[in-house]
Amino acid sequence: MQRFLTASAMSLTLASAAGAAPFSWAGTTDPQTMDPHAVNSAPVLGFLNNVYEGLVRRGKDMAIEPALATSWEPIQSDGGGWRFTLRRGVTFHGGEDFTAEDVVFSYERAASPEADTASWFAGVTDVIAVNDYTVDILTAAPNPIFPDSIANWMIMDAGWAAANGAERPAKDAENFATLNANGTAAFQLSERQPGLKTVLTPFDGWWGEAEHNITTATFTPIQNPATAVAALLSGDVDMINPVPIQDAARLDGRDGVEVIRGIEARVIMLGMAQGADLLKYGANEGDANPFTNVKVRQAVAHAVNVPAILQTIMRGSAEPASQLVSPAMRGYVPALSARPEYDPAKARDLLRSAGYPDGFGFGLKCPNDRYLNDEAVCQAVVSMLAQVGLDAELDAMPVRNYWPELREDNFDMYLLGWSPGTFDHEHPIRFLLATPNPEKKLGSWNFGDYSNARIDTLLPLIQSEVDDSKRQALMTEAVGIYQSEQAYVPLYVQPLVWGARDNITLTQRPDNFFILRWVTVK
Amino acid sequence: MLDLASPAPHDPRMISFILRRVFQSILVLLIVGLVAFSMFTFVGDPIDNMLGQERTDADIARLRAQLGLDQPFPVQYFRFLENAVQGNFGISYRQGRPVADILLERAPATLELAFVSGFLAIFFGIVLGVFTALRRGTVAANAVMTISLIGVSLPTFLIGILLIYVFSVELDLLPSFGRGDTVNLGWWSTGFLTWSGLKALILPSITLGLYQMTLIMRLVRTEMLEVLRQDYIRFARARGLRDRAIHFRHALKNTLVPVITVTGLQLGSIIAFAIITETVFQWPGVGLLFINAIQFVDIPVMAAYLMLISVMFVAINLIVDLLYFAIDPRLRT
Repeated sequence: MQRFLTASAMSLTLASAAGAAPFSWAGTTDPQTMDPHAVNSAPVLGFLNNVYEGLVRRGKDMAIEPALATSWEPIQSDGGGWRFTLRRGVTFHGGEDFTAEDVVFSYERAASPEADTASWFAGVTDVIAVNDYTVDILTAAPNPIFPDSIANWMIMDAGWAAANGAERPAKDAENFATLNANGTAAFQLSERQPGLKTVLTPFDGWWGEAEHNITTATFTPIQNPATAVAALLSGDVDMINPVPIQDAARLDGRDGVEVIRGIEARVIMLGMAQGADLLKYGANEGDANPFTNVKVRQAVAHAVNVPAILQTIMRGSAEPASQLVSPAMRGYVPALSARPEYDPAKARDLLRSAGYPDGFGFGLKCPNDRYLNDEAVCQAVVSMLAQVGLDAELDAMPVRNYWPELREDNFDMYLLGWSPGTFDHEHPIRFLLATPNPEKKLGSWNFGDYSNARIDTLLPLIQSEVDDSKRQALMTEAVGIYQSEQAYVPLYVQPLVWGARDNITLTQRPDNFFILRWVTVK
Repeated sequence: MLDLASPAPHDPRMISFILRRVFQSILVLLIVGLVAFSMFTFVGDPIDNMLGQERTDADIARLRAQLGLDQPFPVQYFRFLENAVQGNFGISYRQGRPVADILLERAPATLELAFVSGFLAIFFGIVLGVFTALRRGTVAANAVMTISLIGVSLPTFLIGILLIYVFSVELDLLPSFGRGDTVNLGWWSTGFLTWSGLKALILPSITLGLYQMTLIMRLVRTEMLEVLRQDYIRFARARGLRDRAIHFRHALKNTLVPVITVTGLQLGSIIAFAIITETVFQWPGVGLLFINAIQFVDIPVMAAYLMLISVMFVAINLIVDLLYFAIDPRLRT
């Protein structure tokens, strides 16, 4: 595991910077908008991190560092909150000065109902401009990870937005900010042709020290993986993300290109219906639901041979997972890193003592275009479960049909990948483990209806505990509970495989964001 | 033989024929739209793609109502028609921009690709067809026939990837994807005026046109062999006409009647089936747009694209029908 941890945070120093040069790269999906608050998805936020900046940003090792704020400290008051001191002398690409007014405006915009990013500000009660370079963000309760959770909250110029009628993002109307951008980051948007190409150029007035030597950066979406690999090999593009796992080994052997491997923040896991009374699919459809029994869930965990899946389907690129977050995330508990070992005999024993000596049949739902090789993983899981008598009926479908199925509880078992937007263990506890409660916005992805009173008690404590070691103790208790109850069966952390020409130096961050200011071309 | 000069535009039977055809075409369009909208429910749910992972159930319900997705599909369809007749095709769910703008932006790429591949298919199809008919049994003709089997048997996807690997990865002669540099003539972006734009056209148009070329070639060959057996050809030979005149003035001309019919119908499919070629070459046309729309369940884009393609097919069929009417005197009596 150590090998991957270092690789993911390490920058590839293949060459030292020489003269300035143009750079081009390709990804599977075009960022669908240039509006930093309209869509909360990795392709959009990752791309716009090169154009817009937040008060804080993440470094090469994912640590929070100052960006538009130079420092921040908790406010000692009745509720809680943070005081941010803003950087002076920052200008937007359009020449406007950056002040506290822009922060307040960006909060109102990003927290509006039209924005996809409103959940980042769930606990925020008010944002106050104390003076031009000081902003107070007040929260209902102390929130120690607030600065960590807003690294992707990007600041837009208030005057620019007002002048162009883009005060709010929009889902059902045209908006100026969809095609245009005005941020403060190292690159500015110089050409935008949706689905075709997007060109960024360095911003001369950037407040920071440029590490890159790029003159122009051109992004092209190439959705067919074989074409993307060909484009890299022929030198038509300098970098592609992702490289299909099955092509990585072949690229390793080619001159002129380099494969960059790491692990992503996304944990792939099996979820099980625990609130349902009856099985919904398979040979035992209509019978009492065995997954409410913890022994059955543990049997599943012992029956799945994760190392074999990683060896064959992931070609050795992924790492096994024991918790709902990867080891690089805040709040990971190193002491509980052991995953249930592969032991079919033990699985059969557990099933026998749960009252299912001959196993049973049920339905497994799986996406076929969401995660790397997701359908192949599900097929492998089906055959592994069959060896202990669990007869899963696999139903794989495109993700556009998948989420509606899960929302309507049409499954007995399902595959889920989770990448915590805040890079903190609290995130999956809130979304995947808390008892579903739409009013409090808890457990919105807890499709299996797992419920544990102690976890529900621990969550608000974790959310408001300011002391790091006390917080980690609470986290350890929560992990102990969900592991022993086998709330989910975590399988592995998804790999990250990029390809680049060997004259390119870049940094691969575990959130799969590609940051241009760390790129040099030799 | 072909009397295209006198289509008799004032013939009342012709006018009633046209009116009937136009009426039928509108009916076909309405039915296509209805079928399309009933299918959208099965394509999936756009809501999850439009909201991030931190969405709540309330967000989902609000957006669904806002987009009218909570209505039954006939209502959605009627609303679409109501807006469409006013020239409003709605806002793309994925891009947040008017669908009409997006389609106009993408159409030139597809039309230029279709034009070039159609031209290649017709030109090489006829030349090779004549060649294989006249040189029947020779090694060269047999080789062309064998190779042409590849055109019909290999899937487009594979041909595209093969061409990319040979000509861009190994030989480094042609670009592996995209349209190259384009020049804007008003709203029309053309790749015909730049060197890189022309180079970028070569591989995709071969990929797209290969199947049609093979089809035309085989059709020309069979027709040609058929015609060459006719009495008037023998008679022409007996008259001592030169081979050149017999083959090209008499035989080929008579061969072309069915070829024109088939080509007309194939023109529609070149545009409609450019989807695969566009995906392989990341060609920024309407086909690629449609594929993206399906993945994202971008209903306004899917609806507009399907309507556009059916308008095109209906129009081509209408023109072909009218051509028959003009060509074949029997239809007029």
